Amino acid sequence: MTDLTITRSFDAAPEKVFDFVSKTEHLLKWWGPEGMTLPEHRLTLDRPGPWMSVMANAEGQRFKVSGQVTKVDPPLLIGFTWAWHDENDRRGVESHVTIRLVPAANGGTEFELHHVDLPNDDAAASHERGWSSALRKLERLANAQSDKERKNG
Amino acid sequence: MADLQTHFAALGDSTRLAIIERLLAQGEQSAGDLQDVADVTAPAISRHLKVLREAGLVQRRVDAQRRIYSVVPEAMQAINAWTLSHRDFWQVSLDRLGRALEKE
Repeated sequence: MTDLTITRSFDAAPEKVFDFVSKTEHLLKWWGPEGMTLPEHRLTLDRPGPWMSVMANAEGQRFKVSGQVTKVDPPLLIGFTWAWHDENDRRGVESHVTIRLVPAANGGTEFELHHVDLPNDDAAASHERGWSSALRKLERLANAQSDKERKNG
Repeated sequence: MADLQTHFAALGDSTRLAIIERLLAQGEQSAGDLQDVADVTAPAISRHLKVLREAGLVQRRVDAQRRIYSVVPEAMQAINAWTLSHRDFWQVSLDRLGRALEKE
């Protein structure tokens, strides 16, 4: 299992940052890569309960992820579970996300995101290694594809 | 989707994957520079480069007598969006969060 930690410093106060990472209207402004749309979502992270989002890219591929909000301590902490769904809507390995907001001396916020219990091949890695790991996944997929073609042919 | 399948099929070969990884890591290269990515002959490298070009993964420009190869950024973006790692997901999302916070 692999753990991922990302920290950021924001000028906004923890109360405002908490709103932006927990309320639907704000989450929709930043959730997911630019260029992807969110055709379905239940992005409410400010209270315990289920959440989900479906991201779609320009080619119409859909990526669904879902979980449960397990811990909310405004404006300092949000914890939720996380798992991608496959093309048959089967939920995969569950991982855990914790967002911690620490008030900074300048009135801003130190933002910490921990995403733990991730599968090993999703390396918490450098940009270059991230690419290599993406390419390894591609290689496996391409091999699986040609195996299938051989079987069918 | 058709494009992605073409990309994957072209990358399902260790020499071609090595060529792409080299171009991603070091930027554009001539066919000669790429010779040492695998233990294969110069004509074999040329054939692999042709497959990668036809799959839309690699582009070529001519510089005097040399042909210089580089990855096609759009193809890499398409692959990247498809194989998004969690770190990528959070980094790009948190960049957007930072910009959204500054706006309001």
